[in-house]
Amino acid sequence: MSRAALLAAPAVLLVVLVLGAALLTALLQSLGLLPLFGEPEFSTAAWTDGGALVESAGVSLYIATTSTLLAVVVGFLIAAYALTAGRGGRLIAALSAATIPIPHLVASGAIGLLLTDAGFLARLLGMPEGFPQLVGTDWWTAAILEFAWKESAFVALVVLGGISRSAAALSETAATLGASARQRILHVILPLARLPLGVAGLVVFVYTFGSYEAPWLLGPVAPEPLSVRAVRLFGSVDLAARPEAMATALTSVGIAVAVIGLGVLGLALLARGSRRRSPRRSQQHSQLPSSRRSGAGS
Amino acid sequence: MTRHRPLIRRRTRRVTLASVAAGAMLLSACASGAAIETAEFADFDAVLHAAEGQTVDLWMYGGDEQGNAYVDDELAPAAAELGVTLRRVPVTDTADALNRVLNEQQAGREDGSVDLVWVNGPTFSTGRQAEAWRCGWTEMLPNMEFTDPQDPLLTDDFGTPVDGCEAPWHKAQFSYFYNSETLAEPPSSLPELLDWAEANPGRFSYPGPPDFTGSVFLREVMISQAGGAEEIPLEFSEENFQEYSPAAIQTLEALAPSLWREGATYPRDEQALNQLFNDGQVDIGMTYGPARLTELVDSGALPDSTRIMPIEEGTVGNASFLAIPANAQDAAGAIAVANLAMSPDQQAIKADPEVWGQFTVLDAERLDSEDRNRFEELPSSPVVPDYAELSGNAHPELDFDWVPALDEAWRESVARR
Repeated sequence: MSRAALLAAPAVLLVVLVLGAALLTALLQSLGLLPLFGEPEFSTAAWTDGGALVESAGVSLYIATTSTLLAVVVGFLIAAYALTAGRGGRLIAALSAATIPIPHLVASGAIGLLLTDAGFLARLLGMPEGFPQLVGTDWWTAAILEFAWKESAFVALVVLGGISRSAAALSETAATLGASARQRILHVILPLARLPLGVAGLVVFVYTFGSYEAPWLLGPVAPEPLSVRAVRLFGSVDLAARPEAMATALTSVGIAVAVIGLGVLGLALLARGSRRRSPRRSQQHSQLPSSRRSGAGS
Repeated sequence: MTRHRPLIRRRTRRVTLASVAAGAMLLSACASGAAIETAEFADFDAVLHAAEGQTVDLWMYGGDEQGNAYVDDELAPAAAELGVTLRRVPVTDTADALNRVLNEQQAGREDGSVDLVWVNGPTFSTGRQAEAWRCGWTEMLPNMEFTDPQDPLLTDDFGTPVDGCEAPWHKAQFSYFYNSETLAEPPSSLPELLDWAEANPGRFSYPGPPDFTGSVFLREVMISQAGGAEEIPLEFSEENFQEYSPAAIQTLEALAPSLWREGATYPRDEQALNQLFNDGQVDIGMTYGPARLTELVDSGALPDSTRIMPIEEGTVGNASFLAIPANAQDAAGAIAVANLAMSPDQQAIKADPEVWGQFTVLDAERLDSEDRNRFEELPSSPVVPDYAELSGNAHPELDFDWVPALDEAWRESVARR
């Protein structure tokens, strides 16, 4: 074991222990083996209950995928603009970074006030009849916009942190050789940014997949994503709903872990591919994961 | 050297994994439930004696500013005179408090962090099912003598016998309100209200169950469709459910296209509905806490033209209570506070619309003339009529088991129409 791993071991062990106990308890509860009252009785009913679990998983996947795609595209554009547009670009980068400390709950509330049918934007425009319905729609528009807005800033930050030094130099060189802004973005910045984009996209996906506030505040009453369903069932006055709540939460954990596994695998392949092409570049890529934030405070 | 390393690594990893798994098993094994011993008190004096110096954590819905202010500014100072520190713990939903109690109970904690809960019927029934509440403590409260022991609102809570497991705090009456500026002639019964909603597309909605208020509306529609409160048995059974619920669900399904947003979605809770009402998107609102309306109008959360909509056939009424978890750490203090909260003095202060406006659980007949006058001289609200008028023709709540069954039926059909 390397020294770094040994140093991290106590903290990791503690986290794994607590997390493991929590997940195990959740699993036992979902199987009816740890009821709030009465005798434990093994049952898989919470897992096999109709299509509700599958439907919720589908909604969660839809929200997370759309939000991530939007956040990655917009985040990359912000980063590319910041790298190629000089002082104006730095201003945009600073503005987008400033949105990162805003908690999602506050951001969701703000988006809600802005976009509801009789919200700020509708009033600003004089309440036009044709103002689109964005909050509480079947397409989850407002929730996805909230995620895309907040997370694109995060993506931009990761990309800028990862490649700004090398990209600025290479981009300038390309410019002196006569490359247009478009060519610099597509042929210099995009290839460099692939790995940071992948890392940030993975973090954003897993975060939005498990996130509760935005879908709860800005989404429709039904159908509901896994997070909203889990919390609703957990707080239900019907105690028999507790196993279903745990099954829902565990489904969410399971999918997130699977996505992380696949994502890390994909990123490793991507890193190996680019290392083969350019040994110098990989050195700086290997520092990237350190810029990954902890999920909690975002 | 390099050849051996992977082997060692694999072995350490296996050992680590095994110990982590064992630790996790141990941690979750601690979570098995244990019977909780509750301290008993000989009489109320013993309670007061034990209560001195205790800190009571009162868990209550925190979204009601007047309620928060009443507890902080009136009830807590009065409790301090008994030597009890009253600490208000705000929660977004009463079920959160019960959840905390159940989780602590499951973990075998006997020094529970929840001492007193402002419960509603469903939470109380659920807690009784799980034996989460301390029982048989309300008979010894001196202030119980001011209540009517035959009052059905105080003997049963959503069909669950109270059995001394909770002390009454205030009465509530489900009420509709309307905007008198946009709606000159409001409907005067629930069937009329549904007809009006159909004739005025987009101007009505209700909070989506399992929200507490939306859930009440759903039951009111079921009772109305059955032809009135006398026509429907309070007891829940699968047959009763099959007989009475389909009419309600079909009515609401048929009504959905005429609702706000064509019924594609529903306001999340009472606050969201109030927001729509205040934005002028709907003309009618509803609440189980009409006492709050005065303050909501004063603060601008609802328009000045808000008025209570009298319903001919009457609406559902209930009482809300204070319950003590079986594992409460400061049970004596909690009992003392529950008694204090029921005193004529505190009930009169609380009934003032300027303070909180909650209707009293005390029986005027049983009060001395001085206390009775205090209630009679309370200022009246421009928005809300008095309790006697509001609760005319009132009917009791159905059994608790109706609640989750109907909510689920609504979610499965109307919500995903």
